[in-house]
Amino acid sequence: MMGPLEPLWAGLATAGFATMFNLRSRDVPLAAAGGALGWAVAAPLQAATGSQATAYCAAAVVIGIWAELLAAIQKRPASVYIACGIIPLVPGGGMYYTMLEYVRGNSWNGLATAFSTLQAAGAIAVGLAVSGAASRLLSLRKIGRRIRGSPRGGRTIR
Amino acid sequence: MDQGSGAMNPEEALLFAADAARVMLESGGETYRAEDTAVAVAGALGGAEADCYATPTGVTISFVGMDGRVHSIVRRIKRRVMHLERVALVEEISRSLVAGTRDFRAAADELGRVEGLRGRGMAASSAAAAAGAGFFTLLFGGAWNDALVAAATGALVSRFPPVMARRQMPDFFTNLVAGAATTLLCLAARRFGLATNADATVIGALMLLVPGIAVTNAIRDTIAGDLVAGVARGADAFMSAAAISVGAGAAYQLWRLAGGAL
Repeated sequence: MMGPLEPLWAGLATAGFATMFNLRSRDVPLAAAGGALGWAVAAPLQAATGSQATAYCAAAVVIGIWAELLAAIQKRPASVYIACGIIPLVPGGGMYYTMLEYVRGNSWNGLATAFSTLQAAGAIAVGLAVSGAASRLLSLRKIGRRIRGSPRGGRTIR
Repeated sequence: MDQGSGAMNPEEALLFAADAARVMLESGGETYRAEDTAVAVAGALGGAEADCYATPTGVTISFVGMDGRVHSIVRRIKRRVMHLERVALVEEISRSLVAGTRDFRAAADELGRVEGLRGRGMAASSAAAAAGAGFFTLLFGGAWNDALVAAATGALVSRFPPVMARRQMPDFFTNLVAGAATTLLCLAARRFGLATNADATVIGALMLLVPGIAVTNAIRDTIAGDLVAGVARGADAFMSAAAISVGAGAAYQLWRLAGGAL
């Protein structure tokens, strides 16, 4: 079950990482919102489906679309928001548990954990690929330009 | 950057494109973005048939100049530190150059400035590391005291990689020692009753070191078709993860030898 405050923690952790990654200060809250949003999607979905990969993939799609929207409005590459937004999902915990299993001598559990860690990373990558393609199809950039109210857009970003 | 006046020659254009791609890769930009930037910039500066091949460890660019001669350059990339503001600014320079709203001299000056941009100061980045580690501990089910321990450990350990980088220590060794130090500090904190949930505390603090983004980016590069870059990033991520694990694992074994519980 997701605690009610979990998205908040996820957002604040994202803000910390965004600051460490030298993101411009006024972009930090925006990126943090992406991290919170991703967790708010991933945690309940994982509880409901029992599948980490599904949950993370869906969350990555949401983070990716959020990042593309921000990118269009702020005229910055989406990847700066993506790199921060996926931080709460990124499988650091999985790597830790993998290591722990090996240290405790449970090689098979370690292997299983390692695989699910890789699966989580793969699910995030697939979700981001989907959102990248979707945002190009739905031309989020145009919507962003309309929100921004500027007539000229930049070069299309893959 | 060259400050001379007069017409821009192909060599300058090539150097500029290579530097733009290099700064992007050094700052954590994606492979395809660095390649696209270099090609767009070289094209805007008068190179026909520009092409760029980038991996996390180097960039190669070549183009045919207006005079029909082939020009090329290789740039090796040795250090990679996340600096998203630089990625955004280089992207902005390349766009303005392509759109014609900025001339070559202004762009070259701006690129020089962007490359010289420093990261946030020690206080700000330590506070950010503390926040990152502490809130991750809460996210992983730790209590407030665990979060505080993780935050303190994170702030302390986050000072370590820059110091080691300045002394030209290999990343493997840095990660090894940082992983061990993080684990030992958290276990000691639990031993003295400061933290209760050791797993959550260690995960929160280790999150600052663990190459989660690198693994994800490795897969993203591969999906995008940058196969060599993807595999290279994967190898990099694997080595970091291995180093941290060896360090943390050694710390656990030491702890056990010293009679501490796991």
